[in-house]
Amino acid sequence: MLSILRDLLRYNREFAAGAVLLAIVVALAAMSAFAPMPPEDVYVVPPDVPPSWAYPMGTTSRGQDVFWQLAFAIRNTLLFGFIVAILSRILSLVIGLVSGYLGGIVDRVLMSINDTFIVMPLFPILVMFYFVMKDRMSWAALALVMAGLGWAYDARLIRSIAMSLRTRQFTEQSVFSGMSTSQIVTQDHLPYVMPIVFSTTMNNINWSIGLEVTLSVLGFTNINTPTIGVMIYWANQHTAMTAGVWWWIFFPVALVIMTFIGLFLLAVSMNEYIDPRSRLSRMRGTRT
Amino acid sequence: MTAIASPAPGDVIAKPQREPVLVVSDLRAYYQTHYFGIVREVRAVDDISLHINPDEIYGLAGESSCGKTTLIKTIAGAIQPPLNVVGGSVRFNFGGAPLDVYASTPQARNAIRWRHLSYIMQGSMSVLNPVRRVRQSFIDFAFRHIGQPMPQFIDTIVAHLERLHLQANVLDAYPHELSGGMRQRVTIALATVCRPEFIIADEPTTALDVVVQKGVLAMIRGIQREIGSSMLFVTHDLAVHANLTDRLGIMYAGRIVEEGPTAEIFRAPKHPYTANLIHSLPRIGDTAPKKGLDGVPPNLAEPPPGCRFHPRCPLAMDICRRENPAMEPSGPGRRVACFAVTRGEPS
Amino acid sequence: MQSINVYIVKRLGQFFLVVFIGINIVFFVTHATPIDPVEYSIAAAASFGSTSPEAINMLRESLTELYGLQGGIWDQYLTFWKRIAVADFGPSVSAFPTPVSTLIGRAVPWTIGLLLTAIVISWVLGNLLGGLAGYYRESRILKAAGVIAMGLHPIPYYIVAFVLLIVFGYLWPVMPLGGGYQRNLAPGFNLAFVASVAKHSFLPALSLVLVGLGSWFMGMRALVSNIVTEDYVTYAELAGVERNRILTSYVMRNALVPQITGLAMSLGAIFNGAIITEQVFGYPGVGTLLVSAVHAGDYSLVLGITTISIIGVSAAVLIIDLLYPLLDPRMKAG
Ligand SMILES: Nc1ncnc2c1ncn2[C@@H]1O[C@H](COP(=O)(O)OP(=O)(O)OP(=O)(O)O)[C@@H](O)[C@H]1O
Ligand code: SF4
Ligand SMILES: [Mg+2]
Repeated sequence: MLSILRDLLRYNREFAAGAVLLAIVVALAAMSAFAPMPPEDVYVVPPDVPPSWAYPMGTTSRGQDVFWQLAFAIRNTLLFGFIVAILSRILSLVIGLVSGYLGGIVDRVLMSINDTFIVMPLFPILVMFYFVMKDRMSWAALALVMAGLGWAYDARLIRSIAMSLRTRQFTEQSVFSGMSTSQIVTQDHLPYVMPIVFSTTMNNINWSIGLEVTLSVLGFTNINTPTIGVMIYWANQHTAMTAGVWWWIFFPVALVIMTFIGLFLLAVSMNEYIDPRSRLSRMRGTRT
Repeated sequence: MTAIASPAPGDVIAKPQREPVLVVSDLRAYYQTHYFGIVREVRAVDDISLHINPDEIYGLAGESSCGKTTLIKTIAGAIQPPLNVVGGSVRFNFGGAPLDVYASTPQARNAIRWRHLSYIMQGSMSVLNPVRRVRQSFIDFAFRHIGQPMPQFIDTIVAHLERLHLQANVLDAYPHELSGGMRQRVTIALATVCRPEFIIADEPTTALDVVVQKGVLAMIRGIQREIGSSMLFVTHDLAVHANLTDRLGIMYAGRIVEEGPTAEIFRAPKHPYTANLIHSLPRIGDTAPKKGLDGVPPNLAEPPPGCRFHPRCPLAMDICRRENPAMEPSGPGRRVACFAVTRGEPS
Repeated sequence: MQSINVYIVKRLGQFFLVVFIGINIVFFVTHATPIDPVEYSIAAAASFGSTSPEAINMLRESLTELYGLQGGIWDQYLTFWKRIAVADFGPSVSAFPTPVSTLIGRAVPWTIGLLLTAIVISWVLGNLLGGLAGYYRESRILKAAGVIAMGLHPIPYYIVAFVLLIVFGYLWPVMPLGGGYQRNLAPGFNLAFVASVAKHSFLPALSLVLVGLGSWFMGMRALVSNIVTEDYVTYAELAGVERNRILTSYVMRNALVPQITGLAMSLGAIFNGAIITEQVFGYPGVGTLLVSAVHAGDYSLVLGITTISIIGVSAAVLIIDLLYPLLDPRMKAG
């Protein structure tokens, strides 16, 4: 896996570009550790100051430094996306591998449920969730709910990989050599599945951040924890655009777009790498 | 033209001496891949020269992955990356109009396709568009060339299908609705309906059971006779060659190692590889176990130096490990690439 | 013919499964709420200034049946389904006493209109361009289109809509800031009104198209670059069949089959996008209605919209699924 990443970094322009974009974003998130003030405090700096030497990204109408606010926001947003992705990865891996490997009736039942979640319009359900939970809707609860709803698409992908692996020769050999199902799945199949898990993780982070931003902007999350969406929410509340406080909107939007494109580039270049056709040619390259 | 080292084989089969329809000279075609910094070159066609005369069926034999399909794809001008022609030439001559496949425009190449040169691809199961009815495929492939108005065109097709024992209703079927044998015959019909001068056939009968195979071979032969075309027929099945082809080329690891009239090769194979192939054919009443070849065909990405057969050759000598034997004439109409044969060493 | 029936039955089964699981989630969520929705809503309705005791009773009855916590959980479950089955969500609290179903009924045509336009445009355009880009790999213009599509695709609907609104609404104000049509126009089938609707739908539709385009483009391009190596394409090329014919009838035609499945699979996500986009532009569809229902604390309306969305999206998926065999002849013999 590590050598794959190194190869990609060296030979794939898209992967390198994505990595650079993300590195910038992560660096900014890491800066939050050095912030001179806690993120919740308001009116700590003069409000509505445009970008300047003292405040490189300006200040908000609530008297917050946009730069430090952004550092906290992107940190929380990334963390959120990451947690949702990890949790839903566990679900999609288990369901995808079990379904693809066992096949038969188990597969059919699991895939019916799976397709149900693919088709389901999740946004109204999430909104309804917030609606009944109101202030009890914490950041963690939202992450849990989204992980519980967002595994389906990738489970299908992993299942199809598992199905193709199942029929490979080495699986038959493993079966003959007396390995248990769990051994086969973890030792034989995971190395093939890992790159796919990586690319679906990137896509899933994108998906969950996108939804989080959307829900927050509408005010449907805890609006006191700064995230990118919450920042835009407050900017909208203060009609930053009409008031000419454009920097309050511009920087979070630009940063989150960078995040999306960065993650996406990592995912597609990894996909290209694992495309069965190009992968086959590479495997031929080492065998023939 | 002078690059062809072989003498004219015409006298043996006693056919009128005419200019060859196809001349392949020093052809090299490699699969060249670049992946994440690793460059690979599979030399699937390495320095091959041959020619095919009018009205002749030329057979090509050799074990799996020796490069048969690659060779004929290159001859047909049907190459796509990663396959590249690295050297040599492929020249057709249809009724005095020469065409150098790799020195002509795509338009010129397209102009001969199906009208003069047609191709029966390996794996006919997947060569028909799965979402298009057979009738549409015939229209796409042949309508332009036949130059008849649609109703007559369909009549022509139906008559042609009849020759292959197919009924008119296959025209309305989708490929998946036909059996393997029917699909195979549809592909053969597609490739022959324009009465081309040259037909390339890649394992057209391999997927068929013996009975159907016999029928199909007879039909191919019949159609070839009837329209007087030449044919390049590829199969690893030597029995098929014995029944069908006039001349035979034996391929090993990207090269042709022996060539001559089919009957002659079967009667007295010269190259040790050919000899092994022929002697390992089962004969009725023969109970002694056949001695096969040791080892496996070489990796074409890193072929052995010298004669590519030397790691498996019972007659291998020192020179074989260093130098590559060239194809040299050896008896009437025959060529062979083996030091043991051409240098008169004991065999 | 046999297997096509099996297929239809399976698709119908999947439809009912989605509706069943979806409604169950709705039931579970609404009954896990820590506050009593009935009293909460009645208080809210009173604060909107309605006093008619008759209507309040109606409200109480429907709320009790939909969210009521009295009786066994099983009874609650059954009455809940009964209400859903007849799409009776009672009166809305925020627009008291207009029934919820009337409010939704008013919003649905807007949403369907917007979605249909955006999906058709992005699907057709994305597939067309993606197909060309996959087939004519060297074309500079198509490569550039690929880069743009790749850049736009990962950005969520909300951000794209928001940026479009800022650019064309504030920075270069050529488009209306929101709404479905000009306020002073009476709805009707006349040129002025239709033109106004078109103008107001332009930005919402554009943002849906921009995001959607990328995924169809990339999906199609990837499919095409795989299909061009299929034997039947190579064979047609060998036979000298015209390139345009090969591109349309051989390559794209075969790629269309998975792209239709793809459409069915992503309908839910596109619907999410439409809801969000509507809200950004204040477009009078279901999405805007949903958000304002949340802000107004209108329980019945939120529940109604969620339920109708689930049923509507899965019905649309079912329709696409049933059209699928028309595209793939292999389905019939299967
Ligand atoms: N697309 C490709 N990329 C790289 N190498 C390839 C490719 N296609 C074929 N080869 C290699 O080229 C060599 C010759 O293959 P080819 O298909 O010509 O063999 P063949 O003689 O037709 O075999 P068969 O009898 O099985 O059809 C093989 O070693 C194969 O691995
Ligand atoms: S050249 Fe040498 S190694 Fe090659 S076939 Fe002849 S004897 Fe054998
Ligand atoms: Mg072959």
